[in-house]
Amino acid sequence: MASNAPNIVFRHLFKTLTVSPALASGLTGQHHQLQQHAHVSGTAKGKAKLKSGQPLKRSSISKIGTPSSGGGGGGRGRREAIERITQISDSCLNAPTPLRHLSPKERLREAKREELGLISKERQRELDMAKAKAKAKSRGTGGDDGGRVLMGPPGLDYISLGLVDEEAIPKYELTVEDGRQLAKEYSRVLMRQHRARQTAESTLLKLKKEAIAALPEKLQAAALVPDMTPFPANRYMATLTPPIEGYLEKVRDAAKKYSVKEKLR
Amino acid sequence: MLPRSPATASHLLRSLQRARGFSSSAAAPASAKADEGKIVASVLFERLPVVIPKIHPVVYAFQEFSFRWGEQYRRQYPDDVLGKADARGKGDYQIDYVPAPRITEADKTNDRKSLQRALDNKLYLLLYGNTYGAPDGKPVWHFPEKVYENEETMRLCAESALKSVIGGLNNTYFVGNAPMAHMVIEQTDSSVSSFKRFFFKSQVIGATKYDVGKCKDYAWVTKDELLEYFPEQKDFFNKMIIHIR
Repeated sequence: MASNAPNIVFRHLFKTLTVSPALASGLTGQHHQLQQHAHVSGTAKGKAKLKSGQPLKRSSISKIGTPSSGGGGGGRGRREAIERITQISDSCLNAPTPLRHLSPKERLREAKREELGLISKERQRELDMAKAKAKAKSRGTGGDDGGRVLMGPPGLDYISLGLVDEEAIPKYELTVEDGRQLAKEYSRVLMRQHRARQTAESTLLKLKKEAIAALPEKLQAAALVPDMTPFPANRYMATLTPPIEGYLEKVRDAAKKYSVKEKLR
Repeated sequence: MLPRSPATASHLLRSLQRARGFSSSAAAPASAKADEGKIVASVLFERLPVVIPKIHPVVYAFQEFSFRWGEQYRRQYPDDVLGKADARGKGDYQIDYVPAPRITEADKTNDRKSLQRALDNKLYLLLYGNTYGAPDGKPVWHFPEKVYENEETMRLCAESALKSVIGGLNNTYFVGNAPMAHMVIEQTDSSVSSFKRFFFKSQVIGATKYDVGKCKDYAWVTKDELLEYFPEQKDFFNKMIIHIR
């Protein structure tokens, strides 16, 4: 039905725009091509018969793209390189995840298949991992949240730098309810900070206005001129750690050494 | 409480029909006559924070939670693929460094004269000496200031004030031509009449040490310490200086 309206529009347009009968026939011939003869599916890209995760039709990598693999001379070297690359790409495309994300339908299907006795590879993997975890837990002490995850490169993460007090962090489990609670508190804290910042900034502007108003007449005009000189280029932003003394000279010396070496070669 | 006070202040402004300054004697409305009182330009010289401020533990907890939740559903790629990121080309050099500590020695000794003290706060310059309008000519903690004497603009007056204290303006940056706040100082007992003090904002650029002259003593203080030095004008300074905690 939606395709009819543009067709009517097109017909009207061509009726008004036709100059000669010969042109008119040519235009109406094109007009049939402009008509929609197939329905548009959910996505504009057309029918999606390809499911994600399956190898695409052009997944075999052409021979031109292998100079970086360093294969030796001859066809055999190239073939091995191609195999290695296809192996790497397969392992990446089919890489496993610790927890599988399943929709409720998929979960139901899995449960029914288990009753029948059929267990898929991934389900088997999950069961094995659960068994291994249970063993590890029974041997060692059962931690509640599984320990802290290092956020950032070791040595430069927030806890060891003293940005966060480790004890002050609330304990939580990796469940949905805990996640919701944490999200609520996070949003509360951030909104409080945001509101405080807004009021402080508007107070600053108010103070500035009052100060300008309190100036004597001749100076007010000068004070109201906006200062367009650019910020100084060496005004640094706050960083994670303060600048290390003597580091700049070290970097410059290292750069000099490397440049000298290359010149000799 | 804070959002309500600007509303009441502006209401009073309209009712009084005059510029109401923040005087040290509590509720007396100030009469601002330009020809009678003197004008003083003072400079709020600040060093911006060098290091990012501390993070609230709830914020950190939420970010850690969301990271770990996402990790559960993240694909585990083989190590030889992930290791390509660490490959270094020819000519790249890598210097392993130990990051400098965020709490410096000046923090531990509480040395107020050094600029390396509270790296995650802003530091403001305070001088101790004789200043215009101080009661009975006694030395007092004050900001660098200068009485206005027919210069072109107030900003030039403020710049000369800072110049006389520091010696040169190469390492400073004045923010804008307009003052950022003003105070009306009323004197009842001394010989000096009431005057207005205008604050100009300027920032430290590219220097880690200054020779501060023209005073008996000086200090670089954070906002909380500043409030200790001026106990009567706490509200005013709370409004003038933002400190996000």
